[in-house]
Amino acid sequence: MSQKTEKLIDKKGLRLDGRKPDELRPIKIEVGVLSNADGSAYIEQGKNKILAAVYGPKELHPKHMALPDRMVLRCRYHMAPFSVQERKSPAPSRREIELSKVIREAIEPAIFVEYYPRTAIDVFVEVLQADGSTRCTSITAASLALADAGVPMRDLVVACSAGKVEDTIVLDLMDAEDKVGSADVPVAYMPNLGVITLLQMDGILTPEEFEKAVNLAIEGCKKIYALQKEALKAKYVSVKEVEE
Amino acid sequence: MSVQSSKRNSGQPVLPGEPLGVIEEFVPDAGTYVKDGVIHSKIVGRSLLDLLNKRVSVFPLVHGARVPKVGSIVIGQVSNVQTQIATVRIFKIGKKLLSGFFTGLLHVSDVHLRFVESMFDICKPGDIIRAKVISEKNRAYHLTTKDKSLGVVYAFCSQCGEVLELKGRGLRCPRCGKIEKRKTAIDYGIGII
Ligand SMILES: [Zn+2]
Repeated sequence: MSQKTEKLIDKKGLRLDGRKPDELRPIKIEVGVLSNADGSAYIEQGKNKILAAVYGPKELHPKHMALPDRMVLRCRYHMAPFSVQERKSPAPSRREIELSKVIREAIEPAIFVEYYPRTAIDVFVEVLQADGSTRCTSITAASLALADAGVPMRDLVVACSAGKVEDTIVLDLMDAEDKVGSADVPVAYMPNLGVITLLQMDGILTPEEFEKAVNLAIEGCKKIYALQKEALKAKYVSVKEVEE
Repeated sequence: MSVQSSKRNSGQPVLPGEPLGVIEEFVPDAGTYVKDGVIHSKIVGRSLLDLLNKRVSVFPLVHGARVPKVGSIVIGQVSNVQTQIATVRIFKIGKKLLSGFFTGLLHVSDVHLRFVESMFDICKPGDIIRAKVISEKNRAYHLTTKDKSLGVVYAFCSQCGEVLELKGRGLRCPRCGKIEKRKTAIDYGIGII
C-alpha cells in the first residue's frame, strides 16, 4: 500500500480518508444488476466493490443432501484474483471458506427456509475490489439479492463493522485500519426486529469499549439500511409506476 | 415497536421486515408474518389495508421464488422414458423460467382419459412437454397431461433429430419421413415455450 502507516488518526481527529470516527464510507447500492440471476445486487462501500447473485430455489443435487423440512442455503464468498494488490489465487482459501459460512449464518435467520422444503438456494458473493470489512459489505449485498429474488424474508440484514484504532472507537474500518488497528467488531443486524445475527470480535477491547463498538456498529447498520431501502424501492417502485 | 402513522394508507411500498400494524387491529393475510404481536411484511410489495374486514396483506412487486405446487402448469424436457413412467426436467413454472430445474414424473395412467398401453407412444427423451402438477407425494412432483392444452409441444425425430410436424393424427419428420406417435398439446409446434 502507498499509504504510510504513520498516523491513522490525525490531530483534528480525522482518519486517513478524512472521515470522522463515526462516519461511514460513501456507499452506492444497485439492485437487479444481473439478468441471468434470480436476484442480484451490487454495492460499493468506499473502495469495496462487491457483487452478489442468488439462484433458486431449485432442486438439490445430489438428492440425499436435501432436507425434508426446509431449504438448504448455500453460500460462496469469493475474492477475484484482481481484488487485492497482490494477485490472489482464485482457488478458495481457508479464509474464504470461513467467510462463506459466516455470511450464510448471518443471513439464514432472515429467510423463511421452511417454506421451500427439499430445495436449495445459492448465494454467490464475488469481491471485485477489497478494502476491509468485506464480510459486512457482502452480507448487506447478499440480503438485497435475496429480496430481489423474491425470497420471503423476516427482515433485510445489514452489516457494518466497528473497531479500535489508536484508542478511538471508529466505524466502518477500511483495510489500512483493519490491518494496523487493534480490534475489529463486525455486526450483522436485522433493523426492524432489532436482532443481531452476526457478532465477531478480532483483537482486544475492554468490556466498555466492546459495548461502545457494538452500539456504534448498530448505528452504522441503521444508516446503511436506509440506503438498502432506497436501492430496493428505486428498482421496484419507480419501474412499476412507469409501466402503468 | 411502534408503527408510524405515515405507513397507514394502502399502496405504500414495503420491504421485508417493515411493520404494518399489530394483531389487535388487523388480521394478517398474504405476504405478511407475525412476530411478537407485530405484523411485518415478508416480501417487496405494496401494502393493502382492508379497513372494512380489518385485514392487512402485501401485494408482491417481485415475482420470484417459485417452486411447483399442486395445480401449477409446468414446462419441461422429457429426460427418461420407461413403459410405465416418464421423467421430466421442469424448467418453467407458469410464466417463470427457472434458473435451476425440478424433476417431475408422468405416469401412463395420468396421460389420457382413455387407456394408454405404453409410455413410448406418448413422449420420447428430448421432447418439450407441458403438464400440470397433481401431487407432491413421496417427495416427487407427479404430473398429468389429461387436457387438450397439455402434452408434448415440441417433439424431435428419434432417427435424425429434426423437429416433427403434425400430419393427420400423428407426427411426421420433414427430413426423413419417419412417422411417430405422441400425446400432443393442442398448440403443438406453434406454442411459445
Ligand atoms: Zn427424421
